[in-house]
Amino acid sequence: MIGVVSYIVFFATTASILAIAVLGLNLQWGNTGLFNGGVVAFFGAGAYGTLILGGTPQAGHLGGFGLFYPFALLGGMVAAGLMAWVVGLLTLRLRHDYLAIATFGVAVAFENLMRNAEWLAGGAKGVRGFERPLRAALGDGFLYNLLFFAVVLLILIATYLFLERLVSSPFGRLLRAIREDEEAAQSLGKSPSKIRLTAFITGSVILGLAGGLYGTFYAFVSPQDVLPTLTFQIWAMLIVGGAGNNKGAIFGAFLIWGAWTTSGWALSRFAPVEAQLYTGSVQFILIGSVIVGMLMWRPQGLLPERLVVSQRGNPPSNE
Amino acid sequence: MFKFKNLGGVLGLVLGLAMMSGTAHAQDCTTKIGAVLPTSVDWGRPIAETAQFAVDQVNAAGGVAGCQIEMVLRDTQVDPKVGVDAAKALVDLDGVSVLLGAVSSGVSMPILTSVTVPSGVLQMSCCSSSTAFTGLAEEGKTKGLWFRTFATTGVQSAVGAKVAADQGYKTVAVMYKNDDWGQDMARLIAADFAAVGVEVTSSVAVNDGQPSYRAEVTEALGSQPEALYLALYPAEGTAAVREWISLGGTQNMILANSLKSDEFRDNVGMQYLGSTLGTDTASPRSDSADAFRAAYLERFDSEPNGPGLANSYDAAMIALLAMEAAGKDASGADVAAAIAKVTDPNGTPVSADTAGFAAAKEVLAGGGTVMFQGATGNVRFDGNGDVSAPAVVWSFSESGTDEVEYMSLNEVDAFIASLK
Repeated sequence: MIGVVSYIVFFATTASILAIAVLGLNLQWGNTGLFNGGVVAFFGAGAYGTLILGGTPQAGHLGGFGLFYPFALLGGMVAAGLMAWVVGLLTLRLRHDYLAIATFGVAVAFENLMRNAEWLAGGAKGVRGFERPLRAALGDGFLYNLLFFAVVLLILIATYLFLERLVSSPFGRLLRAIREDEEAAQSLGKSPSKIRLTAFITGSVILGLAGGLYGTFYAFVSPQDVLPTLTFQIWAMLIVGGAGNNKGAIFGAFLIWGAWTTSGWALSRFAPVEAQLYTGSVQFILIGSVIVGMLMWRPQGLLPERLVVSQRGNPPSNE
Repeated sequence: MFKFKNLGGVLGLVLGLAMMSGTAHAQDCTTKIGAVLPTSVDWGRPIAETAQFAVDQVNAAGGVAGCQIEMVLRDTQVDPKVGVDAAKALVDLDGVSVLLGAVSSGVSMPILTSVTVPSGVLQMSCCSSSTAFTGLAEEGKTKGLWFRTFATTGVQSAVGAKVAADQGYKTVAVMYKNDDWGQDMARLIAADFAAVGVEVTSSVAVNDGQPSYRAEVTEALGSQPEALYLALYPAEGTAAVREWISLGGTQNMILANSLKSDEFRDNVGMQYLGSTLGTDTASPRSDSADAFRAAYLERFDSEPNGPGLANSYDAAMIALLAMEAAGKDASGADVAAAIAKVTDPNGTPVSADTAGFAAAKEVLAGGGTVMFQGATGNVRFDGNGDVSAPAVVWSFSESGTDEVEYMSLNEVDAFIASLK
């Protein structure tokens, strides 16, 4: 029984971390209409940044500053934000698929940089030697995982509340205005390019936060963690959950990650012995089918965006 | 309500019967071990098959500590998240105390740091080559729970350096595959070349899947080396060597075992490979290696040629032997501690097959220790869970490869020690 609880806590931690990332993407795509095809670069910047700043010294590459954990995590977020600022300045004039291709290229470049720059982040071997915060006091076991989950959950809730407020504020309305019709927004005296950049950086910082937590959870990050698959997974979560709806983003993350892991577990348990070797491939087919099915029958996602009238005009007076 | 209960009971009975009839030796208990391997990747599937093959042999010998072994196999998709989750599920839901895997270092490492070490589960990898594991073990962070049967990186670079020294090369250029294995090889071979007094004129990373390697080859060629060292895979290796030779590079080449392939020989052409020497870890000159080959041939209708097969077999077999030595319901740490008992250089030699496992059971039951003679040699782990292995120097021939020189485990160890 304790095993089941322990696994569920572990699962929920990973899912919550991914949900934070999906929330970051939702701000960019769901609310502002920025097609970020390089999700993994900002996620990775957060993970690498946190581990390099908070880790113990390692021979052969940068790092081992051993910063107090919250500062390290903050540093990871700043790294993601800085990268988003530079990338944003360069690419945000692009629209739609062009932006997607450019950001995808950034992500591939990021992975290659991490794979090759051994002096920076250990190259293909990755960054290790990170001491998880409070591990000495709490040990390594279930208690630690439970507390870590609680912290991640709190951060997820805080991120959700922050984004809900942001989206319902005048700034959120502006984001949607830009998403729907940029020229109309401009004609009202707004500066779309500035707003787009702000939204892009904010979303990327949230992605970096998720990456930092991910690196902390595994106490390790390597170029294998920042392959384009992760971008695809996070997008799938957002599309299935419902772009433009923060609840949908969280729901999608738990649902897709749940489907991803449960299908592997179920196949390993129930598939006949002869088919065991092929369950990996079968799993890919199942996951692909779910996503195709969603796009065909419910393209708006399970929890679609709810458009709200944020300020009603005064009723016409009778006099 | 009652109906449902009955239905459940009947279902359970049917399932139970089905399971019992499914195993050849119906015993009262099964012990689960976990395996996290990339079965959705073409080269990953045979590695999993070979591990299952070892489990089948052990079950044929009556299982471990009186129980049949069930290997629960999960796919990693070469994705760290997926692999870690699968490992955690195996540990928490299936209650395994021994985990085989993973293949990629980038997947094995987070499993080690976030699942097996915190849970006290033994992790035995067939194929993870990163030197980061050695570093982690030296810091005491693996708690002695980490082992791997993949020996080639350190052994190969040392033997590669020996070849260069024996051939009298003074300068060598290095081209390496740009992944964790290749980067480690490049670093190790540079140190080993330096130790034997050979100068590395340039060290060039080669990425997968490029249409041309002219830039890389030109860079290596520009330093005018007497010989070329290649730590590449056949596809990039072929392309790079073709350009190397067409641009007038030397045919004095030293190859890592990854290029020991007919595809590479045929596509480059024998006429250019006359003065090429390769290195590899070798099968031991023992009956057990032959027994493994024979049993493998009988089971799969092919020779065990493929990355990681022998390593995967040994990983599974040693883990199971250690479980036998540790006894019923042993914890991961107990099994890890028992590994020394089954890889004891002074123990009774046992072969890598059903009969060998049965023999080992008797010796262990009598309180003795055994020396497992596996498919990759007389496997012996050092304090960091790393292995050494016998080595061979080979050259290409019309029909395949010829052995030029054989180095026993002791010779390899002595040579590596002389480099330090």
